[in-house]
Amino acid sequence: MKSGNSTSPDMLLEIKHINKEYVKGIRVNDDISLSLQAGEIFGLLGPNGAGKTTLVNQIIGLVKPDSGSIMLDGVDVIANPNFARQACSFQAQTQVPITGLTATQAIELVGRVRGGSAERIRQRTRELIELLEMEEWAKKTAESFSGGMRRLVAFCMAVVEPGRVVILDEPTNDVDPLRRRLLWREVSAIAEMGSAVLLVTHNVLEAERAVGRLAIIDQGKVIGMGTPASLKETDGESMRLELILEPRVEAPLPPGFLQHTFVTGRRLVASLEDSNVAPALEWARNLKETDIVEEFSIGPTTLEDVYVKMVGRPDALEMLDEEVKNAPSAS
Amino acid sequence: MPRALRSYGLMLKWQVLSSKPLLPLEAAVQVMIAAGFVIGISFLYPDVTPTTARFLTTGAPTLILLMTGLVLAPQIVAMARTEGTFDYIWSLPVPRMVYIAADATVWVLVSLPGVILALVIGAVYHNFSLEISPLVVPALLLIALTGIFVGYSIAHGAPRPQLAHLATQIIVFLVMIFSPVIYPVEQLPGWLQALHRGLPIKYMADLSRGTLTDLDVNLGLAFAVVGAWCLAGFVLTYILVHRRR
Repeated sequence: MKSGNSTSPDMLLEIKHINKEYVKGIRVNDDISLSLQAGEIFGLLGPNGAGKTTLVNQIIGLVKPDSGSIMLDGVDVIANPNFARQACSFQAQTQVPITGLTATQAIELVGRVRGGSAERIRQRTRELIELLEMEEWAKKTAESFSGGMRRLVAFCMAVVEPGRVVILDEPTNDVDPLRRRLLWREVSAIAEMGSAVLLVTHNVLEAERAVGRLAIIDQGKVIGMGTPASLKETDGESMRLELILEPRVEAPLPPGFLQHTFVTGRRLVASLEDSNVAPALEWARNLKETDIVEEFSIGPTTLEDVYVKMVGRPDALEMLDEEVKNAPSAS
Repeated sequence: MPRALRSYGLMLKWQVLSSKPLLPLEAAVQVMIAAGFVIGISFLYPDVTPTTARFLTTGAPTLILLMTGLVLAPQIVAMARTEGTFDYIWSLPVPRMVYIAADATVWVLVSLPGVILALVIGAVYHNFSLEISPLVVPALLLIALTGIFVGYSIAHGAPRPQLAHLATQIIVFLVMIFSPVIYPVEQLPGWLQALHRGLPIKYMADLSRGTLTDLDVNLGLAFAVVGAWCLAGFVLTYILVHRRR
């Protein structure tokens, strides 16, 4: 079962050249390779249908790759899916079946199922409920939970007895801003305890703050990988301009110094070089004075800009906005 | 093994807690079905003979167990498939058949009150006493598990969950009306009699009748046929829940 020689010693999870087609000719995963170290938070970003969930499902043995290898702690998990399920704890994108259970019962049950002792799990459950300020719901059954509260309980179920790899698929969807912050704090704590955290998300803004490294995948392929800073460095233009148009106003034609202009709804985002900040500022001011633009801002490039540019479709950002607000469907 | 037993206990607790909100409704439905089978259907007969009364009363447990196994259980599984719940359940470090065993246990427990109630109501209403053999326990358990495993096979095997729903609708019809459970097989046309020689339904009714009354039944054959179907359902369920997409 062990095959230590093909695995880098410091990598906990090594995914190499994974290919998967559900329908002949349509590659959902196309030669995906990435690896996670113990103790790191790794982001997997990409629009709907990019193949993120398919990749995760192959790690935990729900889906079998057509080719490629997945090694977890030196063990081939494609051949040993049971090992993967013990070694990975997972927050699925879909709802968890907790109807009829209280938050405490649901979290404790998973902790026990994952092999934790009754006493330790009881204590850890109490801790998590306090950390995420969920006391009010601790003894209530799930029927009374909002979407955000269900999501928080699902998160606790994934981290109550964390595996070597903790996979979180859109953990903050529907969760209120305050508890989001508490949740991210707990994610960092899990990584510090030595688990590798694989964070699957559309929410680039949150990912930028939470992850150490990330991979951007689109149409089944990895199209960028590195730290948020290194991805921004390779970007070329280092500044970004954002305009919010007045309602029912058509987007103005962007001047030549603006690159990669995307318009979604009332929002126009473009990137520019440092040297063009002054003319960009003037252009934007003019638009505001002529009531075309409600407000504007110029600042350093964000990961979101890099993401949109890499995905290279004007709809990437639109999808992003929508999906940050709404619970996403399977990708 | 201790690990599997522990997992079974925990999954059983999970399943019982999950079904709790539905239990009062389930209980009410069970009472109605039980009364419906043993009393309601007797209204179709102008003259209820002692044999008819025994067929109605002992047929009810089979019908209740098949309704649970072949209709309710697959519908719940199909719903869970639609919601993607199994992507979560199968990601837990619990052997899949341990989860299946816990789920099946709940279904058996859920149908138990209806079965007992039907027998009590039937015997009292039709005024006869049951001749209960100790074999009734394995017999009813075998009927229940066969229904549940065949039901799981349909629900997990259907290419799309909606098809499982459709299949259960057809099964209800076949089991309730075109199967010799509450009436003798001789009342069916020849081709349906031939069909039921291969299906387990008639033999399930035989198991129930043979262990609850003194009516003449080939119990050995009934145990063998239903046992074979149970095994087939179990194996098929095993294969289907272990598939990787």
